[in-house]
Amino acid sequence: MAVIAKQVEDFLSTSAPFDALDSDIRATLIGQTDLLYLTADNANELSGSAPKLYLIQSGQFSVQDGDGTTRHLSEGDFFGYPSILEKRALPLSVTVDSPGLVYCFNADAMYALLDLAPVKSFFAGLQNNALQNHAMSDSNSMWLYKGLTDVINKAPVSIETSASIADAAMLMTKKKVSSLLITEDTKVVGIVTDRDLRSRVVAKSVDTALSVREIMTLNPAQIGGNRTLFDAMALMTEKNIHHLPVIDPSSTQPLGMITASDIIRHQRGNVLFIIGELSKAENLYELTRLSWQLPHYFAAHAKRAGDFDIAGKILSQATDIMTRKLIGFFQQEHGKAPMMFAWLVYGSQAREDQTMGSDQDNGLLLANTPNTQQAQYFADMASYVCNGLAKCGIKLCDGNIMASNPKLRLPLDEAVREAQQWVKSPTKEAIMHFNIYLDVRCAAGDTSLFKELQKRRAPLLQQKMFLAALVRQSNDVAVPLSMFQKFSYEKGRKQKDSIDLKTRAVALINNIARIYALADGIPLPSTLARLEALSEQSQLSKRDAANLRDIWLFLNRLRWRHQLENKVTDNCVSVGTLSSIEKHQLKAAFKAIERTNQAMVMKFSGGVG
Amino acid sequence: MLSQFLILLKKVINEGGVFKSPFRARLKNVMLNDTVFTAVDLELTSLDPSTTDITSIGYVSGLNNKVKLSSCGYHVINTTADLGQSPVIHGLTHDVLEQGIMLDKALSSLCEAIQGSVLVFHNASLDLKALDKVFRDYKFPPLDVVYIDTLQLALYQLNKQHQVLPNNSATLTVCRQRLDLPSFPEHNALDDALATLQLFFAQLQQLGVNSQDNLSVLLHTKAIGRYTLGRDTFK
Repeated sequence: MAVIAKQVEDFLSTSAPFDALDSDIRATLIGQTDLLYLTADNANELSGSAPKLYLIQSGQFSVQDGDGTTRHLSEGDFFGYPSILEKRALPLSVTVDSPGLVYCFNADAMYALLDLAPVKSFFAGLQNNALQNHAMSDSNSMWLYKGLTDVINKAPVSIETSASIADAAMLMTKKKVSSLLITEDTKVVGIVTDRDLRSRVVAKSVDTALSVREIMTLNPAQIGGNRTLFDAMALMTEKNIHHLPVIDPSSTQPLGMITASDIIRHQRGNVLFIIGELSKAENLYELTRLSWQLPHYFAAHAKRAGDFDIAGKILSQATDIMTRKLIGFFQQEHGKAPMMFAWLVYGSQAREDQTMGSDQDNGLLLANTPNTQQAQYFADMASYVCNGLAKCGIKLCDGNIMASNPKLRLPLDEAVREAQQWVKSPTKEAIMHFNIYLDVRCAAGDTSLFKELQKRRAPLLQQKMFLAALVRQSNDVAVPLSMFQKFSYEKGRKQKDSIDLKTRAVALINNIARIYALADGIPLPSTLARLEALSEQSQLSKRDAANLRDIWLFLNRLRWRHQLENKVTDNCVSVGTLSSIEKHQLKAAFKAIERTNQAMVMKFSGGVG
Repeated sequence: MLSQFLILLKKVINEGGVFKSPFRARLKNVMLNDTVFTAVDLELTSLDPSTTDITSIGYVSGLNNKVKLSSCGYHVINTTADLGQSPVIHGLTHDVLEQGIMLDKALSSLCEAIQGSVLVFHNASLDLKALDKVFRDYKFPPLDVVYIDTLQLALYQLNKQHQVLPNNSATLTVCRQRLDLPSFPEHNALDDALATLQLFFAQLQQLGVNSQDNLSVLLHTKAIGRYTLGRDTFK
């Protein structure tokens, strides 16, 4: 067998899918391979020759492959694979923009390799122009994203309030459940658990002929079936309960029950430990001490791709809990608030995609215009909470988007007027300023107040002119790919090959999801939830939405891994540290974002970018 | 003024204006697109051709801008020669060399591989002289070769652009960088040979040479020549 030059081995052993081959299989392939210096002079020879697979090592080429459109290709890109996959000669035309080295793999050698799973799925992925995401479906932690309706497998076991304690106990025994929903007119009004039967009935010798109403827990915590298992775990951990009724969010009819043992069955590593600890904190000192463990906790426990998928969510939930705790501590000291208020969070905390570098973005929504004394109460509360969060490691916001800023403590009417103002004159500067407020969630205080704001604001934000302005703004940021699909890197960074995945890619998907969600009247702030919730009427197809979701998770994984591995808080990921397949995925991801963004420009602003 | 005249005169002579060489006539019959080029690289123990020893030989062939990866050859030579400082550069220590084959066997393989090829070297004179020496040492029959020197091709281009050449501007690595060829692991005979062959194909493109041209179009660059290895073998 021929010897192999190190540069050939180096290149092919780091190029997907060949990196996944055994070295002797790779060596056999190399023995049947030519390395062509492709120039304008010999490019037309490719069109006539027998089908081959081409992999570019250097140079830039415009390629028309099969009957597809022209692609601009460079280092690391393949062409000619349609012929290989379909096992027949398809038209190929190559224009050389700058000459370079191209590996030419024999069709016969490739046919043999196509039986291998990694090779097959790689080229099938290229063919479908889709992001390859086996890593995701393999992930162990994806169960956390499961919708609750997928998790509950039993119809709800319930009994009317008129039933006796004995009836309830018999039903539970018959159905082999540890908890029972108590209903009145098919609505959940209470819950009875095994433990209740022990401590409230047997231990107190209560007559079991009495109504079950006497011993049930009234108005138990509930959760909508459209939420995820993760949400359920967070709620159960925070409330320290083991049984959580799941209800249909629109009809409020019970759907089933989630129990702690359900969760243990699904869970493989107790990633929520920290949230439980946080919600037990009794003073500012304890809270900050626990909060500072968060980065260590993530560094120690977030190892698998799936862990990175939920890390942002955990961090956001943790920040929510810190906020609620801090508000609680403040109220213990200074008494109840003088009016209804909602503590709003914006940006990444609202979207639940916080990273270690995210700073706090928050504000207060007040029921009425406060008088001087009331205003002072909220000013003090805001300043206490914001500083408290900073002590917990959530940086103060450079842009002063914090409740401690008086401009961000608006009464409801004022907040609606503000939205009218945005819609009236959506200039570039104005959008830059208010874009962050469009991703908003109520983290503490009175949710109904926030819902009222959303209800009054939604029709405003759905206006066509306003959406068109948002689209134009979003289109100002390009994905970091050159004309020839090479990565373009951030200037002036120590790492010459780094890309800021947050501003150059994740933010674009966030924009796309936000705009389609606003158009569709969806009030959710999280990008994944928005993509999931888009209606049939939405102009974004289900397939595109699913693809964006995969890309978003992939990008997020890369930046989390970057932050944890390098102990940094920025999002500038060095392309050199990525595996070959990740580089391909990243390029495919950027291309898909670009396509979706262009489509959005066409739909919303009639193509006037 | 005088010197410019001399340069012109020299140019006319070399271009064959006055003395038409039979070499040129030979090259005119050799078309680029059906010439097999074999790049050869030797790793040596020193830069003095009269005393140097060969520690490894690498070669690879290509036709019509296409490198045949199956033609790659690489031989480490079992030599007990004084290595001097050379292991620092190419990493071939005595331990490695002991695993190698005898030089005459390697030479036979090389001769087989270069049959009918035009040779390509980066800095031809050193490697040719070293080969010439071992041809004589091992009493190999004389072999006429036509060779191309990519170093000379690079100097031809550089001299068009510079009065005084910058330092290190004609090393294999720097020449490749100028033509946007990827970086490669240096100082391994096979990798250097492969890198040289790629460089040559890129230089042809830079010169604007067409695949239907014949080899004589390279004459004016002074990068093409002929040499008889082992000329004095039987003297």
